[in-house]
Amino acid sequence: MKLLSLSWTHKASAAPAREALAAVPVEKVLSVLRERGCEEAAAVSTCNRFELYAAGRPDAVRSADWFLDILSELASFPVASEAEIREDIDAVLHLFSVSSGLDSLVVGETEILGQTKTGYEAAKALGMTDKRLNVLFQRALYVGKKVRSETAVASGASSVPSVAVQLAESIFGCLGGKSALILGAGAMAELAAKHLAARGVGRLTVANRTWERAYALAARCHGEAVPWADFPAQLAEADVVIASTGAPQAVVTREMVVAASRKRFGRSIFFIDIAMPRDIEESVHQLDGVYLYRLEDFEAIVAKNMAGRAESVAAARAIIESKAAEFDRWAKSLSLEKELSLRHSDLRAR
Amino acid sequence: MLILSALNWGAFLLYVCATLAAGHYLYTKDLRASRAMLALLGIGLFLHLGATAARVAIFWSFEENRFFLPVSSFHGALSYMSLALAAAFFVIEGRARLGILGALILPWAAASLGAAVLFARPDMAPLAPKLRSYWLNIHPMLLMTAYAAFANAFGVAVALLIQERQIKSRKPTELCYRLPPLDELDALNARIIAAAFPVLAAGLLMGSMWSLSAHGHFWVAGGKECLSLTTAAIYAAFLWMRYGAGRRGRMTVYVSLMGFAFVLLTFFGAELLSGRHSYMAGGK
Repeated sequence: MKLLSLSWTHKASAAPAREALAAVPVEKVLSVLRERGCEEAAAVSTCNRFELYAAGRPDAVRSADWFLDILSELASFPVASEAEIREDIDAVLHLFSVSSGLDSLVVGETEILGQTKTGYEAAKALGMTDKRLNVLFQRALYVGKKVRSETAVASGASSVPSVAVQLAESIFGCLGGKSALILGAGAMAELAAKHLAARGVGRLTVANRTWERAYALAARCHGEAVPWADFPAQLAEADVVIASTGAPQAVVTREMVVAASRKRFGRSIFFIDIAMPRDIEESVHQLDGVYLYRLEDFEAIVAKNMAGRAESVAAARAIIESKAAEFDRWAKSLSLEKELSLRHSDLRAR
Repeated sequence: MLILSALNWGAFLLYVCATLAAGHYLYTKDLRASRAMLALLGIGLFLHLGATAARVAIFWSFEENRFFLPVSSFHGALSYMSLALAAAFFVIEGRARLGILGALILPWAAASLGAAVLFARPDMAPLAPKLRSYWLNIHPMLLMTAYAAFANAFGVAVALLIQERQIKSRKPTELCYRLPPLDELDALNARIIAAAFPVLAAGLLMGSMWSLSAHGHFWVAGGKECLSLTTAAIYAAFLWMRYGAGRRGRMTVYVSLMGFAFVLLTFFGAELLSGRHSYMAGGK
């Protein structure tokens, strides 16, 4: 069996080529390839990469130049010079690395697994996959899952908002039915509000010195605006408080939190301070049941998580290499009398 | 007798293995360890039930013991408590998928059965005449069921304190994401205690009734009696703080931990203080 892969990734190609390719629907690429006589091909297209895989009997697969010409024509852009061309086991290794998230901008991210699946399904729906690509892509999805579950490449949240949500869930469990208070109505506040709304926070309240802006933000994220003077009273109701005002000194004082905490009968309250200078007095963190995290705390957690992921890359590579070699043995066995059987656990003769 | 001993040892070793698997799961997040824990615990429970049945059969082979449960000895009490604890955890784990708490709860089941197997002998003698009362099937059983539930609550409370420290530190480790959320642990701790407290109270009341019917005294100021009343008072204080005054957080957790310390003191410490409840003396 012969396998050819052409890739344009954030690592090796400039953005214009990738953008030009991303603009062409995968279905169109595949149907044009079919019209011109290519029988087995699949493409994975995301904002960071475009990948084309073609397979067939050794004499049936066209040359890389043939594919590059068609893609340049479809993208109306000279994409050939930017392409990385791989064959056989190198192509397998590459696809497995992609599906495992090792080739991604954020190592271990899981979206690429879904995108690989989408690409494979599109090709399958068009009848462009036969045994070889079917097995290859199913293996790629399997390896992607295996790597994520057996190594730490995907462990730990990789962005500040996801770490914040994860911690909130470590305190409250499900965020549905919890209430959140947003202090400030700037871009950061809006981002935070949207993340909370996406996690199904029960009640969202916005307070800002300028009433109109609070009202506008509340309207945009289906929350409720309260006058700035009322926010200390709101502290007693809020489980999560996100502060990002431009105030020159702290707006949430220890006294306010002590009073709110008493009214809450010690129920936990999670403060997130993303303002600079700080909006919340540091000493509230010492209070029982009060947890104050600042932007740099989240950044430190993200940095630690990412370092942990980077450490696991070698272990992930080992899995990918052994699985790619296994696939390669199977691919070679296709042209022999005895076809090997690929099981999820190991390789054995049928 | 040989079968009984083999079953008991088997159950004990399986509980120890389940505890080790639970500890492994806590530190590695390896789901296979969690499944292994549940399987080991399940088989252990099965053997333990078998051992209990064998023990009851041997106990009942004495005509005068018929239909009284063998719980008046140290062995019987510890073994029953271990069984109740492991069974309660098995049910809680199955329903609330809180296998992670196994590392904190199962050691008690293993230790309890271990103490029974290693340090106490199954009582294979006729019961003392004054224990031949249907109260024997009620009073200790209720109390030990409550103790097993309190041991579960203790494991939850320890997990709660660990989780609290994790979040307070601002440098949460993997453990933080593996343990259940703070609020869930807090609610579970309170719910277990709220369910076990009436059982404890009923058990104590039944003891008083037994005493009244046997000796004509409703209350005897023995060491165990006083300690168990203190235990009940502490858990009552916890429930009042939690549900009456609506307080939560570390303070209430400390009160529940103190309650469990008194459970242990009542169960093991009272040996020296109270003649009537002495296990070593065979309940004489």
